[in-house]
Amino acid sequence: MNNLKLIWWLALKDLKIEYRSRQAFLTTLFFAVLILIIFNFAFDPGSNATREASPGILWVALLFPGIIQLNRSFQSEVEEGTLQGIVLSPVDRGVFFLGKFMANWLFLVAIDMLILAAFVVFFNFTLSGGLLWVLLLMVLVGIGFTAVGTVFAAMVSNIRIREVLLPILLFPIIVPIILAAVNGTREVLIHNDFSTLFRWMQLLIAFDVIFLAAGFLVFDYVVGE
Amino acid sequence: MWLANSNRALGSARTSVRFVAWLLVPLYLLGVLALYTAFIYAPTERVMGEVQRIFYFHVGAAWTAFLAFFFVFLGGVIYLMRRNVFWDYLAAASAEVGVIFTTIVLVTGPIWARPVWNTWWPWGDPRVTTTLVLWLIYVAYLILRNSLGEGEKRARFSAVFGIIGFIDVPIVWLSIRWWRTIHPVVITKTGASLEPEMVQALIVSVATFTVFYIALMCLRLAMHLHNSAAEEMAQAVRERSE
Repeated sequence: MNNLKLIWWLALKDLKIEYRSRQAFLTTLFFAVLILIIFNFAFDPGSNATREASPGILWVALLFPGIIQLNRSFQSEVEEGTLQGIVLSPVDRGVFFLGKFMANWLFLVAIDMLILAAFVVFFNFTLSGGLLWVLLLMVLVGIGFTAVGTVFAAMVSNIRIREVLLPILLFPIIVPIILAAVNGTREVLIHNDFSTLFRWMQLLIAFDVIFLAAGFLVFDYVVGE
Repeated sequence: MWLANSNRALGSARTSVRFVAWLLVPLYLLGVLALYTAFIYAPTERVMGEVQRIFYFHVGAAWTAFLAFFFVFLGGVIYLMRRNVFWDYLAAASAEVGVIFTTIVLVTGPIWARPVWNTWWPWGDPRVTTTLVLWLIYVAYLILRNSLGEGEKRARFSAVFGIIGFIDVPIVWLSIRWWRTIHPVVITKTGASLEPEMVQALIVSVATFTVFYIALMCLRLAMHLHNSAAEEMAQAVRERSE
């Protein structure tokens, strides 16, 4: 079996489990919508200041709940003892990483699209082509977030305080992509400045490539042994 | 062999404590010299006044913190290659001292910035914000270590986190620079050039902090080694009594 097929199979396994239980999906979605609503209570809805801050709110609502799924993705493997099975099977650890990454990333992008719709409604944005650029940002941010997050989620899966530990490890590392995401979104939705957007996208692509490669290389040290 | 590991650990600990003992006199002399150059020898800055003297300690601590975090990275890489737990303890000791020095940087910075830049926290300065993120990353590193028990797994995970954290630093720096240059930079560095006496004071201070870091790091390293030896002995005693 070639590696691409293996990656897809591993991802499909996770997505199927998630599709059947829909546990993480609904929890994550609900949490994210909750954040969007709470921020509208916290700030003055409809005011210019809130509109100016809305890209930040959108990304808080995307990245904080994103932790839930990352934690779940290895927790179930540990509980069911399937992690050992995968580690013992003749699959390269890097391939296993990419499979996990793929499942988590597809999950995140699916959630992101729904949240974007809720965001447009709650913050009264007009439907425009700019939203497609935000979607592209979500795809790129998702890669970096999930690449680092998958490595860390595997590390904390056996630790008692994993729910707290994962965000503590992950958020300092992803500061660059938070900056790129928030500022890129602001350029598109509020300032209409595309040259700056492309600069942030370059940064995102660099981050994605570096940390996908890093995850692929270090995953061997994280699982197994 | 019975207690072979702890014997080796105790041997390494003894060496590093002896090294610190050897460093004590030079460190003491350097410390006195650094205090003298910073407070008496270097002239008072004309615009900023006495508060500028904090600069010598600020920069000394900052340089040492970066050096310490480089050792966390290096220790992690060597551990993963050689699987000798000594390198993991070296990385841990470096991270501990690095976090302390970063804290010094983050505390002395605002004390200086308030009278000079008229702001406690200049978000516009990429050095300041990068140092803050650095502090977050290595505090997270220590929390990760803390939540894992003694053993090979903690060493492995810490090494991985230390490597990823170190790779991240240049990207953090770049992103924060872009973040602030896009919007107008409110605060610019005051174009004050340093007097030769100030440069000399700075060099002495950086040298002192570097030696101080090495001494503290070796002490912590010895402590970690003692700890692991004690752990192994206790284990051995438990096994014998069963």
